[in-house]
Amino acid sequence: MTRKPTKDMSRVTSQKKPVIVEEDDEAVAARALKAPIPRMEKNMKPSVILVGADKGGVGKTTVARALLDYLATNNIITRAFDTEYPRGTLHRFHPQETTIVDLQSTSDQMRILDTLNTAQVKVSVIDIRAGGLLLAMQALEDTGFLDAVAAGDFDFLIYHVLGPSIASLEEIDEIAPYVQDGQYYLVKNHVNDTTFFEWDPITHRRYFEKVETAGEITIPKLNEMAYEQVEIAATPFSTFVADRTAEGEPAGHSFVLRGYVRTWLHKIADEFDRVGLLTQLAPRSGTRQAKALK
Amino acid sequence: MQSLGCGGAAIGPVTHMTSGGRVYICCSPDRRVGVSTTARLLTDYRLLKGERVAGFDTDPHEPSYGVHFPGLVKAVNTADIRDQISLFDTLLGEDSAPKIVDVWSRAYGRFFETVREIGFFEEARDRKVMTILFYHANSTESALNGARELHRSWPEIRLVIVHNEGAAQLGAKARDILAHYPAGGKLVIPELHAPVNKTLEDASLSLANFLHAPPPSMSIVVRAALKAWLTPIVTQLNSFELRLAMESGLFSN
Repeated sequence: MTRKPTKDMSRVTSQKKPVIVEEDDEAVAARALKAPIPRMEKNMKPSVILVGADKGGVGKTTVARALLDYLATNNIITRAFDTEYPRGTLHRFHPQETTIVDLQSTSDQMRILDTLNTAQVKVSVIDIRAGGLLLAMQALEDTGFLDAVAAGDFDFLIYHVLGPSIASLEEIDEIAPYVQDGQYYLVKNHVNDTTFFEWDPITHRRYFEKVETAGEITIPKLNEMAYEQVEIAATPFSTFVADRTAEGEPAGHSFVLRGYVRTWLHKIADEFDRVGLLTQLAPRSGTRQAKALK
Repeated sequence: MQSLGCGGAAIGPVTHMTSGGRVYICCSPDRRVGVSTTARLLTDYRLLKGERVAGFDTDPHEPSYGVHFPGLVKAVNTADIRDQISLFDTLLGEDSAPKIVDVWSRAYGRFFETVREIGFFEEARDRKVMTILFYHANSTESALNGARELHRSWPEIRLVIVHNEGAAQLGAKARDILAHYPAGGKLVIPELHAPVNKTLEDASLSLANFLHAPPPSMSIVVRAALKAWLTPIVTQLNSFELRLAMESGLFSN
């Protein structure tokens, strides 16, 4: 059974670092070596999970953070790249595993893509800044990464986070040509009380049924105050649930707010379970989903 | 159904909580079945024992429980996140004083929805806080289903079924009706005759003080009737507390 964040989780972020952290692959690998290596990593092909949208404010980083929590609680050691260059957003919450990069810079592209095969950490999450999704897809095509995905060298998952506007939905058409060999998911983030035009079946069908996707992932709404408290805490959601500071000290967060966040994380974990994320990352150890299907 | 008292009663669910305080939640999805009266009686009972009490009234508009304990009982709106924090974080706080919650019928759904969403009972168990539900029975199917739903959702939580004979008159079929309720105990609040009942509405009347020393200005008849009404209630609560203490003692660390 998939592990979900609980209040007892001991995984907490260690000392905060300066805003821009140049944690190289050796450092990530060293960290990976110190951690217990999950059994499934032996079978894993390098995977890239890209979380993005061109529209701003749709919750891309929220989804990336929830994803990192999910992978961590399931013992999938992950490295993350924050393309909100140079300030970083994801990095603020996950400083240990996150590197801030400029995806348009060749050296940073090399840092991500050239190390996919050599890095001991087999899963890379890339949080694409607002307005950068199409550019990122073009860059991945230009560098030959999409061809390598088509050749089966890498697994590629795209989590396209949608917002409450037609402009956001129109991105689906723009991105679709690039994702034929990847696993393309539409992520409906309800954190902002968005309805995704479900009240208007014609509009909903127009955008959601014309592109073949691997599926939809629904991110449920989180109580606003709980969300803001995690923002202030600047820790992973699971660290907040465990009532710890970024330094691992007792934080004294409200039980009610932690409870809301814990339940919210559970629901997201159920969504990732539903789409078989762990199985996609480690196909040969994918007995869990098979069991679930029975 | 078990009685709250010891006589011949089977032991209810095993309770391992010994040191983290107690939370008494008085509730019903229906109105006018005596929920606030029970909360008041529980509060006065603790005060009678010389204990500190923290109470919460979830009717922020007309807190009929809170009006009797100004300064002790806080009115909260369960739909408001700040009030939720004030309520649930206090219930699980370090302070071992008993906490009593009067769940207004219109706040019932929201209250238990929040309890479920934040994992309140699970956290209470981990913190060794004993939670006891005082669920008020009546003759409706919805009340019975509500009790069953609570028991199904949280079978480890002690569910005491309260029959307020004045508020929920079940008539000759009372035993049959109550027998269908899932219960880890029973509390019967006898009916109080209308003229005496009127005295209870006086916000300045403290039942704890009354039991210590009845006010000389009170009618002798009312005094006697009130005492006759309170005595079996206090006896049941004494027995209940004794049983809880014995069960806790068996499994304490």
